[in-house]
Amino acid sequence: MERQSGTAPTPPYHHLEETLAQLESQAQELEQRVSDNLDALLSNLAETAQLRGWNVCRAANPEAAIGYVESVVTGLKVGQVVRSAQEVFDQVPVALALQNLGISVIAIARDDQQTRDQLRNEIIASGVGITGADYAVSETGSVVVMPRLGLSRLVSLVPPVHIALVRAQDVVESLDDVFLLRRLEYHRNGGDMGSYLNFITGPSRTADIEQTLVVGVHGPKEVHMVLLE
Amino acid sequence: MPQVKTQDFFDASALSIKDPELRQALQRVGTGFDKARREAIDEVSAEVWEQWREVARQIKEHTIDHLDYYLELLHDNVNKNGGQVHFARDAEQANAIVADLVKSKGVKIVTKGKSMVSEELSLNHVLEGLGTEVYETDLGEYIIQLADETPSHLVAPALHKTKAQVAQLFTDNLGVPYTDDIEEMARVAREALRGKFLAADMGITGANFLVAETGSLVIITNEGNGRLCTSAPRIHVGITGMEKVIPSLHDLAVFLRLLPRSATGQRLTSYMSMVSGPRREADEDGPEEFHLVIVDNGRSKMLADPKLRESLYCIRCGACLNICPVYQKVGGHAYGWVYPGPIGAIVTPSLVGLKQAKDLPFASSLCGACREVCPVKINIPRMLLHLRQELTENSEPTVNSIPAWESILARCYTAIMNHPTLLSMGTKLLKLLQMPLARNGRIQRVPFAPLSRWTHSRDLPALPKRPFREIWRQELSGPNQSHQ
Repeated sequence: MERQSGTAPTPPYHHLEETLAQLESQAQELEQRVSDNLDALLSNLAETAQLRGWNVCRAANPEAAIGYVESVVTGLKVGQVVRSAQEVFDQVPVALALQNLGISVIAIARDDQQTRDQLRNEIIASGVGITGADYAVSETGSVVVMPRLGLSRLVSLVPPVHIALVRAQDVVESLDDVFLLRRLEYHRNGGDMGSYLNFITGPSRTADIEQTLVVGVHGPKEVHMVLLE
Repeated sequence: MPQVKTQDFFDASALSIKDPELRQALQRVGTGFDKARREAIDEVSAEVWEQWREVARQIKEHTIDHLDYYLELLHDNVNKNGGQVHFARDAEQANAIVADLVKSKGVKIVTKGKSMVSEELSLNHVLEGLGTEVYETDLGEYIIQLADETPSHLVAPALHKTKAQVAQLFTDNLGVPYTDDIEEMARVAREALRGKFLAADMGITGANFLVAETGSLVIITNEGNGRLCTSAPRIHVGITGMEKVIPSLHDLAVFLRLLPRSATGQRLTSYMSMVSGPRREADEDGPEEFHLVIVDNGRSKMLADPKLRESLYCIRCGACLNICPVYQKVGGHAYGWVYPGPIGAIVTPSLVGLKQAKDLPFASSLCGACREVCPVKINIPRMLLHLRQELTENSEPTVNSIPAWESILARCYTAIMNHPTLLSMGTKLLKLLQMPLARNGRIQRVPFAPLSRWTHSRDLPALPKRPFREIWRQELSGPNQSHQ
């Protein structure tokens, strides 16, 4: 196939012509709309997520959230847990609580000593992966994670159980909201929004044999969404 | 290129109709996927669904009309992300590109997500020929890899297999004790592939969408294999047809609403993964290299033909397969190449050659159900008619010859219907001939073929005493009657 200069469409495609200022203003409207409807969005998120196969815990405060995580992890009888290094863990000190119960908690964030391979082995050896959520989408019941420093791709994927801690401030309403915010970041940075993004909507599943649904194939079999309200 | 068996369509479909296990498996497509699709549409309401379809259609129309521009934009933005884009004119070139990467990067193990385009290329065989271990990781693809077969459906490749057949495959190939418990088999697959995912040097996936604005590749999956193929190995290669691009990230939303519902009735798949280049310096993990192989392989021919261009809008949901009365009876393999069903009946002839696949545009009753369910409103029946026209008008007589008796019968019919006196004489003759057979206005048995077979389970209406022509002339159209 020959590479030639493609003819730009006339008129130009609307969404590719939006300026940073326009995107900023749309994002502000989004923020306003979300904060005006937060209660409804949280309820909708909890309901939809549950329908999609999440185990949902609505936690009124950090203590309740920690209590829930403790009960999940001890119920599974795992010895080691991995977590991402996100802000939410400062607000919800779940690592300390689990360590007090004798469970080893490894934060997957490289420092000078550890290599990527070493951390990967820790993930493989763990029974649960705990992350925050970059966004939680009420339309679809999804948690969005964007791998970067302190957020490994494999933490929410390799261990058989994934727990996502969702703060009220992470919640948005729709797919359109997430994509607007991503586009804003992309254009703000002169064309970069990070290497990867995952929408997680329930446990891993398949219906490839006789169209019979089976939960838990290559991704986590069990997923928990802890909503910090 | 996988072996083209499109020329065997009639024989192959005659065989599949008689296969009871296949028939049972195909029945699930209607009661499973299609029923779930309709429920998912009802949930959002038909009005909303139609709006989404229209928006998606406009986006695809616009993009395909400016495909070269958007591919260039995509290329520039993938590069900006640190990825590399390779354009492949045909299957041979695409395979060479991937083979080069495998050789130059010392790749020993490849894990593969589902990619129909890679089936067009027979990529697995090419890589295995280089001594690479290639593992299909989507459960359906894994099953057919073990069976050394090709996929029979766009979304559920092993649709045609019963659980007993899968159980036998696993026992024979993996050495596990025989079990046809489906959950247990999924667990077996998980364990068998776990180590491969984590040891793989290269992950190869397809793409559901390519976002030009941000240089991103999007895959929607349920099992987690797509995520593992794009996260664990040091190299990720995305292979895709050139028609998958959409202009803006904003546009992705409507397609994410249409595709899972149309395919399996899911509101959204378990995972949606968007790859925008290799890992960044600070990332904790992820591939060091990202390569996007954009394949033409005959698509530019479809693009150039304004009557066939629409087929490039396809988002490969499989809804048309699930609703098609032909597909439901004969299954995917009878179509003889990578793409089965209504969309396959257009795409396959366009990619392998119309003469080679001349039966496929005729594998349809033109009922139009496919057009009704298509999320991007592709007018499949119109394109099937176009291909039929091409075949009958532009080919040598032998390519699509009509049996002699049909030709003669058609000519006699034309002659009789064009001459009122012939028609009149003909009906009088028939009335005489039918006298021994007609009872109470019906003919129950005709003693000679082929009408004997017809009347085995049906009655024919007998010609009436007075034909309508006579009633009209004598009673309904006289000078005293009013008529327009």
